[in-house]
Amino acid sequence: MVENILHRRSLDASASQNALIGRVLREYIVPDLYPFAIGLGMVGPALLAHGTVEQQEEWLRPIASGTAVWCQMFSEPEAGSDLANVALSARQDGEEWLIEGQKTWTSRAMWADWAICLARTDPNQPKHKGLTMFAIPMEASGVEVRPLMQMNRDAHFSEVFISNARISDKWRIGEIGEGWRVAMTVLAHERAGGGSRGGGDGSARGSQLPSWIADIQTLNDLSSIQREDISAVYSHDTVSRWTSQRAADEARVSGAPGPAGSGAKLRTVRSYKGRARLSNLSAGAHGMLESGHGYIEVMTAPSMSIRGGTDEIQRNILGERVLGLPGEPRLDREAPWNESRKGLL
Amino acid sequence: MTDITTVDPLITETADRLLSQTCDHESIQRAEAEGGAPEIWDAFAETGFPWISISEEAGGSGGSLLDALEVLRLVGYHAAPIPAAENGVLAGWLLGASKQEIPSGIATVVPSPGSQVTGILSGDEVVVTGVAERVPWARAAEKIVVLLEIDSTNFVASIDQDLCEVKPMTNMAGEPRDTVSFNDVKVAACPAEPGVSPESFRFRGALSRSALMAGAIEKMSQLTVTYTNDRIQFGRPVAKFQAVQQHLVWGAQDAALARMAAETAAREANRGDALFEIAAAKLISNQAAARATKACHQAHGAMGMTQEYPLHHLSRRLWSWRKEYGGDAEWSRWLGEVAVAQGADALYPLITGGSSTLR
Repeated sequence: MVENILHRRSLDASASQNALIGRVLREYIVPDLYPFAIGLGMVGPALLAHGTVEQQEEWLRPIASGTAVWCQMFSEPEAGSDLANVALSARQDGEEWLIEGQKTWTSRAMWADWAICLARTDPNQPKHKGLTMFAIPMEASGVEVRPLMQMNRDAHFSEVFISNARISDKWRIGEIGEGWRVAMTVLAHERAGGGSRGGGDGSARGSQLPSWIADIQTLNDLSSIQREDISAVYSHDTVSRWTSQRAADEARVSGAPGPAGSGAKLRTVRSYKGRARLSNLSAGAHGMLESGHGYIEVMTAPSMSIRGGTDEIQRNILGERVLGLPGEPRLDREAPWNESRKGLL
Repeated sequence: MTDITTVDPLITETADRLLSQTCDHESIQRAEAEGGAPEIWDAFAETGFPWISISEEAGGSGGSLLDALEVLRLVGYHAAPIPAAENGVLAGWLLGASKQEIPSGIATVVPSPGSQVTGILSGDEVVVTGVAERVPWARAAEKIVVLLEIDSTNFVASIDQDLCEVKPMTNMAGEPRDTVSFNDVKVAACPAEPGVSPESFRFRGALSRSALMAGAIEKMSQLTVTYTNDRIQFGRPVAKFQAVQQHLVWGAQDAALARMAAETAAREANRGDALFEIAAAKLISNQAAARATKACHQAHGAMGMTQEYPLHHLSRRLWSWRKEYGGDAEWSRWLGEVAVAQGADALYPLITGGSSTLR
């Protein structure tokens, strides 16, 4: 996505050249673009699809150059998997909007300059329809960020409390009531992921042993069972990478990421968990220690199949949109949100 | 005289009440931050719980091994941040079996002495040298107990903690697992009674962990059922979704499986050696812990990953205990070797009859 943005304002690269740049980058150990991933991978593409020319002029260049860090304020205490249940309200007041409510699981919120924020502008509409997307400057008065401590002792997620923040209507992204559509674009790019993270660990070149396998090798002589486990994860990893590349190429041809991103996310999570488990168990009793092999990975692994859309949500997307299976019954689809929000059953 | 096949209900009721009063989310968090919870240990010790299964003549609280393991199950259930397993079922057992005094403070054990610590006989003393890793709560202990095999005889060394160098380390759950250096420490040479060996010690360690793990998996399963019934998404409690119910069933199955395996092993161990049952129980607990933590975390969603919600007290303990006193590979290999040695015709009798067919 770096490439898309650069392409718009400076490099005249074609879609296939973009794909090539991403692929080559993944073969090398290059700096982690984590702080910039939301801007580069999700907000940038969403602005290209839904933003005004003025908004693109204002925000894309700082995203591409890394001078503006973005975060994504979607989830709320009552709106996790059920994202369309967001309650944070935005009320129009002339040329401004009054924002009031709470977001949670907002990664990078502590250092972000801007947030892309899904808000409820009409509580009398069914839940998907009364939503609007905004860009909110994190330094606006009334925005308070409180870090959430996770079980791996990391605190990159935050709760964000907003009380009576005033923001300009020119920071509204897309039409009023079209927030869900913008959110879907953002999420499709999140699932497609990939290129915005920068490089890989160098292992995609194929000529060198992936670092996680080399690591396990230093611990002990590998038993035949360990070799089998390692080979299974490595093969899964490799096929997963090829499949993601194919999905990314298809997305570039069609102009938007499709449901294939959900499959890619499921596979990536499985690889991560497999690597974490193998590294940690290979260390034997020592793997129990906080200083042990794979500690952070084991502590982080359960969150991988939750963050960015749970495995269950990804499988629903695949079931309904790829396989064409009947959808889950959705009782609250047509009911006004202010009646359905606390549950209809 | 305690009935050796049933648990004294008074013990379990009292232990359950005491632990639920003392081990709440805040006290467990605090114990992790401060490296121990002396006030919880003191309340636990006041009732004599840490010395159950050690005879009163030896300075213990009496009661059977079955009682002690049932208390350990409750310790696991409440994620109690105390060295209950080390003090009684492990260190207390070794001290009792070598006719040594049971200290009033905490006694802990070196979990895998053979490869790390050595002893040399010098008159009626043993000189202990080496560096022991992953010693539970060594920093808080009065005595550090080591089982040493010297010239084919097993000795139990009971060492004053202040004669050792203790470097604080922690396991994934933030429980103390310290590195202890013994620099030519001299203690009385006390031989262990027959039946006490590095092998039987390892089995006993695995038995203690199976009991703790059974309790922790059960609590984790209960927490998950409660949470998913309270959490509403898409207009209904998430527990109403089949995909979530599948996770709940895994949690409940594994809780039942681990408890059954731990109780069977405890009952057999109370009668005599129970090698097959203990090996099977530890392997089953290890595997159940892996599946159940996965299912319960997934059903909790992001909330289960936070420090403020108590799921991690249980899951991190399970991931740690899973690797203590034998991981999956060690017990799988042991069970496999026994089954192969007995031959095909003995396999079914081994599965149904257990350790009694090996005697």
